[in-house]
Amino acid sequence: METVSTIISNFIALVPVTLAQSLILSFIVLGIMLPFRTLNFPDLTSEGAFPLGGCVCALSLAGGAPGWLAILVAMAAGFLAGSCTAFVHLRFRIHTLLAGILMMTMLYSINLRLMGKSNLSVYGTPTIFDGVPFLEPGFPVSKIVVAGLLGLAVYCLLNLYFRTERGTAMRAVGSNPDMAEAQGISIWAATIGGVGLAGAFSATSGALMVQSQGFADVNMGIGTLINGLAALMIGEAIVGKQTIRRQLAAPFVGAIVYYQLVSLCLAAGMPPTDLKLATGLFVLAMLALPTLKRSRGPMPAREAIRE
Amino acid sequence: MLEIRSARKVFYKGQPDEKIALNDLSLTLPSGNFAIVIGSNGAGKSSMLNAISGALMLDSGKILINGNDVTALPVHKRASRVARVFQDPMKGTAASMTVAENMLLAELRGKKLGLSRGLNAKRVASYRDRLAALNLGLENRLDTRVELLSGGQRQSLSLIMATCDQPDLLLLDEHTAALDPRTADIVMQATVRAVEAFNLTTLMVTHNMQHAVDFGHSVVMLDAGAIRLEITGAEKAEVTIPKLIGHFGMKTDRMLLAS
Repeated sequence: METVSTIISNFIALVPVTLAQSLILSFIVLGIMLPFRTLNFPDLTSEGAFPLGGCVCALSLAGGAPGWLAILVAMAAGFLAGSCTAFVHLRFRIHTLLAGILMMTMLYSINLRLMGKSNLSVYGTPTIFDGVPFLEPGFPVSKIVVAGLLGLAVYCLLNLYFRTERGTAMRAVGSNPDMAEAQGISIWAATIGGVGLAGAFSATSGALMVQSQGFADVNMGIGTLINGLAALMIGEAIVGKQTIRRQLAAPFVGAIVYYQLVSLCLAAGMPPTDLKLATGLFVLAMLALPTLKRSRGPMPAREAIRE
Repeated sequence: MLEIRSARKVFYKGQPDEKIALNDLSLTLPSGNFAIVIGSNGAGKSSMLNAISGALMLDSGKILINGNDVTALPVHKRASRVARVFQDPMKGTAASMTVAENMLLAELRGKKLGLSRGLNAKRVASYRDRLAALNLGLENRLDTRVELLSGGQRQSLSLIMATCDQPDLLLLDEHTAALDPRTADIVMQATVRAVEAFNLTTLMVTHNMQHAVDFGHSVVMLDAGAIRLEITGAEKAEVTIPKLIGHFGMKTDRMLLAS
């Protein structure tokens, strides 16, 4: 019994740190969800946009920029990366997944070029987490407050946006591109804008992560995509995706729950090296579940994805 | 008014399987005219409609809508003038969005989109009124996702969406072909009501010879990518199914079955 109580106390001790981390990473889950669910565009750019945001943020911080400005610069870089993926898909008719892989691979070199080396320490520079009053800087609570408020603001803004005329048009492009075009909606504008926005959120996540951990590393993106997908699946299983409000809440709820689960597994003694296998199997199971449920009936329609 | 001037489109040009889809096709449809387009499979009906809507770019020739040259405009830039209802009920609506959201998309067709709230109370109320006219109960299902509606309901919705803000040109692409006879009848009646109420310039493709006889001001028959026959005015009023089928020449069997 003692081991169980040790596991639990280890886990509980890590809850605040994990929560801070998951709130920061919820932005990349949002960056994965947006194109996937609203534009029907599975976008792999996030795995490259995340370290891109981190690298750009670290460079800005090293250059003396304040924390918030570094994040804005990172967002702009992420938007550019996302819109490049969308452009490659639209202009050259390259499959969405392949366009994302191309962009992600190229971004690795770009990130190395930008930083000039594989990692850059920005420890000690002022960050966005310093500005919270009455809290000791560096303590996870300030990260929870800042990342949480930022997440809440983004959630509310997106919620409003997807109810506007333009937001409705963007969702129509994901739902039925031919119909959207026939209603006068530009597929190009909606796709480039939407995937770009997602890239901006992924980059925000990377920038926040760099400010939180005090350094940027070109390899910080490895595995973020599959983690993000797992978090999204959990979030959608918990809050659903029937309405805009639920669909937008799923990345945040999913990220918070997923990283606590990971923390619990690690506290229970799972070797960290097995984490990706476990996450991959989990995502596979979540995606396979609908087909298993109806195995006796007719095969359900395959997930329609833009090609 | 729609004018097509010697429209030409060749697929697989210069290859062994070259296919002339539109062979210098010319057609003038005066404003307020409701024309029925008939012709056997492969005659170029769909190519003509695609060329008008912008889904198919012409090799040569011109397309003018109300005097404006739209030949070079992509689909989304013609949307303010042209509305279209497809044969497949899935094509004309956004399945994962609600009935009201689909109506909103139709209302905004070709307009400049803003950042104001899309579905406001005033709009929702007007959609309810418009849908009530169909007598399909859609007015009570404004928040239902369209994928949960039946094919007939979806097609009726597509029709209401296409006609709601009185397009310069309405294209109906065998829009009742996929429906059961009763629903097809409801959709056809709604079509005629809308076309007459707004005096819409309309092109309706159909394989149903009875529809060709019963509806419209003129009948246009396509063959091998060109207009083979145009029946208008008094002659149209007296046309019968056997007369129409007679014009199909050799290819009558399918048409007889279809009628």
